[in-house]
Amino acid sequence: MTRWRAALSPSNCALLGAAALLALAPFVLPVYATTLATEALILGLFAMSLDLMVGYARLISFGHAAAYGLGAYACGYVLLHTALPMLGAIAAATLFAGVLAIGIAWVCTIATGVSFSMLTLAFAQLLYAVAFRWTSVTGASDGLAGIPRRPGPFGLALFDSRTGFYYLVLFCLAAGFLFCRALVSSPFGAVLRGIRENEAKTKALGYDTRRYKIAVVAIAYALGGLAGALYAPFAGFANTELLFWLLSGQVLIMVIVGGAGTLVGPILGAAFFLLASQILSAYTDSWALFFGLLFIAFVLFAPEGIWGLLTSRLVRPKARAATPDAAA
Amino acid sequence: MTVECLNALSQSALLFFLGVGLTLIFGIMRIVNFAHGSFYMLGAFVGYSLARLAGSFWLALVLAPLSVGILGALFELGVLRFLYRRDATAFLMVTFGLALAIGEVARLVWGSQPLEVTTPKALSGVIFLFGLPFPLYRLFLTGAGAAVAILLWQFLERTRLGLLIRATSQNAEMMHALGTDVRLVRSFVFGIGCALAGLGGVLAAPLVTASLGMAVNVIIDAFVIVIIGGMGSFAGSILGALLVAFVQIFGEYYFPDFAMALMYLVMLLVLVLRPGGLLGKEA
Amino acid sequence: MPLLELDGLSRRFGGVLAVDRVSMRVAEGEVRAVIGPNGAGKSTLFNLITGVLAPSAGEVSFDGKRITGLPAHRISQLGIARTFQVTALYPEMTALENARLAAQAREKGRWRPLGGGATLREAAERGESALARLGLGALAGRPAGLLSHGDQRLLEVAMALAQDPRLLLLDEPTQGLSVEETAQAVETLAGLFAAGGVTVLLVEHDMEVVFRLAERVTVLHRGAVIADGTPAAVQAHAEVQRAYLGGFS
Repeated sequence: MTRWRAALSPSNCALLGAAALLALAPFVLPVYATTLATEALILGLFAMSLDLMVGYARLISFGHAAAYGLGAYACGYVLLHTALPMLGAIAAATLFAGVLAIGIAWVCTIATGVSFSMLTLAFAQLLYAVAFRWTSVTGASDGLAGIPRRPGPFGLALFDSRTGFYYLVLFCLAAGFLFCRALVSSPFGAVLRGIRENEAKTKALGYDTRRYKIAVVAIAYALGGLAGALYAPFAGFANTELLFWLLSGQVLIMVIVGGAGTLVGPILGAAFFLLASQILSAYTDSWALFFGLLFIAFVLFAPEGIWGLLTSRLVRPKARAATPDAAA
Repeated sequence: MTVECLNALSQSALLFFLGVGLTLIFGIMRIVNFAHGSFYMLGAFVGYSLARLAGSFWLALVLAPLSVGILGALFELGVLRFLYRRDATAFLMVTFGLALAIGEVARLVWGSQPLEVTTPKALSGVIFLFGLPFPLYRLFLTGAGAAVAILLWQFLERTRLGLLIRATSQNAEMMHALGTDVRLVRSFVFGIGCALAGLGGVLAAPLVTASLGMAVNVIIDAFVIVIIGGMGSFAGSILGALLVAFVQIFGEYYFPDFAMALMYLVMLLVLVLRPGGLLGKEA
Repeated sequence: MPLLELDGLSRRFGGVLAVDRVSMRVAEGEVRAVIGPNGAGKSTLFNLITGVLAPSAGEVSFDGKRITGLPAHRISQLGIARTFQVTALYPEMTALENARLAAQAREKGRWRPLGGGATLREAAERGESALARLGLGALAGRPAGLLSHGDQRLLEVAMALAQDPRLLLLDEPTQGLSVEETAQAVETLAGLFAAGGVTVLLVEHDMEVVFRLAERVTVLHRGAVIADGTPAAVQAHAEVQRAYLGGFS
């Protein structure tokens, strides 16, 4: 009984509704909008992966583009140079980003605070520099172009079309979300929150906090790598911009604008980011100006992010009505 | 070899202008200023326009940093001031937003083509050092860097305001309790930091032209300098600028393929050995 | 065999010897107080025992095994729980979540990244009983940051208890409490110690608290042990030392 009631809580119903809407989207949306929605979902997965670090363990990465770029380049390389089908390439790239992240995290977690952020930035820029020079593998400044969506295994071509690819991305996002939600409500997630609020205390309680941090960075990189691996066959190319610090800054802003530490918020933040830049650029050449001002306004007037705005407007009145003193 | 060393010295002067402003701002306000490169770029553009309007590079050299500094101080007054109770990500976002906005305004005003800034007559040409030709302007840059470093150091060490700034960086709450208007110190410091970046921009323009790309190109360099030297350390920003300039110039010369990666490798190495930077406190 | 044994433990900060060749033995089941004026090295001593700081010289042994130089989390895992002089809690979590996270550190499934509902439930039960032992049961659902200072101090003790420690290190548990709060906290702690089962090492400033709680007292001055014995004996000794221990009465 209680299990069922918990499963049908308002937030779960809202999530199911959102998933159903997203599943129906390709039938109602025009073609270009489906493409845009696919990109928004990929960015949403990317932003959500960063939220694991930023929102739950207060590990502020300035270099999360490293995960995205690693995933995109690895997936593109595999698709261009091997016969592996797309799904296999995506899985391999995800694993690659996650495994490489263990080494990166091992070094970065030597430091804390701003120094940690700067180390993540240094690694991302190092990879950027490597991508720029390692012509035989990365195609240097041209990047990798003409990345195919190779069908299979067993001739499975379900995900090669525009709509099919949309569903593949939606599935990855939904699976990633459920995974992250289970992660943050597990014993492991409780320790992450402990690290966020007071790392010294968490150590004193007997937790090897560095190992937890390395683990969460590796998981975040793997999911970010998955997003990048989806992007490569989506766009058909991978270039150095996917490793550039500007993207790291943008994804951090998606997380914060959406609402850090909520998982859903950053997905909304990514969609908002993409939509706002599309809409603004349709009306004005100077969209970056308005975009910049919009961010400043968000920080000043909506510090909890989009998710905070939504929940305080929608949920709080209900909560207030449910308490006896408000009813009286 | 000699020429490379001299080139590296003049390059480190430019990097120093960037790094010292960033480190001052971080040391006193704990703000990671993503818009720092944009103030540098703005310095170059404003300097270009002033030099054309007034017909004098020297006038631009004084007025451009001043106006960039005032803009920075206004931003502190209008936006940053309301965020000191919030966590570091708030600053990150507003300065990132500011960088986007400044970049776009600059594009609207000055266009997206790089603008040539002519070297002032008195400083064009070459002189012979150790029997080798060397651009006079680069020598001037080295001198200017050294002069500004000494002036700033004296200002921080000797003047009352300098003392207030150093004390505020140690303990802002205590200074507030002692009756210092910490808010004024913060506006002032943010302004000075931005003005220094602007000065770097004006001085760099004759070498690299004034362009929109400047902001992005230098912001990472500036961060690397400050991180290597130690965030908030004045001497660290000098050391960081020297190290980065030498790594860049010699890397370009001896290992052109790895030049870009080399700087980040040096930064990683420094941070792994000393997480707070060479002259920084343990972070 | 003593539960905790310090042998010639020293720690130098630059030119200052903060802890100077301290040797002491704490028997199983004992409640021992370490007293001394500010700057006597009491908190540094705790940091050396718990592995937050590495000693410059000397050894720490726990239950007959040498634990010098082990990292803090390993030492905690051996069954040494501590509280901090400046209250260290998770302010945004509820009191129960605080205690649960402490209890979880002793659970086999503490690492589980997925699922682990049983681990969390078990940890919550142990956290709840620790809260109850310190009379905080009614406050379980309140965010720790919103508790009164006195309750926060007790919550930290509850968190340490939730870890089922063999040795409990309390760093000035009544620090910053009002007279009434102190009296109340001391009664709660006295009841807890009387129930037995845990060895306590207590750093304290307030002699009245020490007399009420401790069976034996060690006096630190400038990092070194200058007296050791029953509270009455030490007080007699302390009276002599009043000239430089000033703050005692």
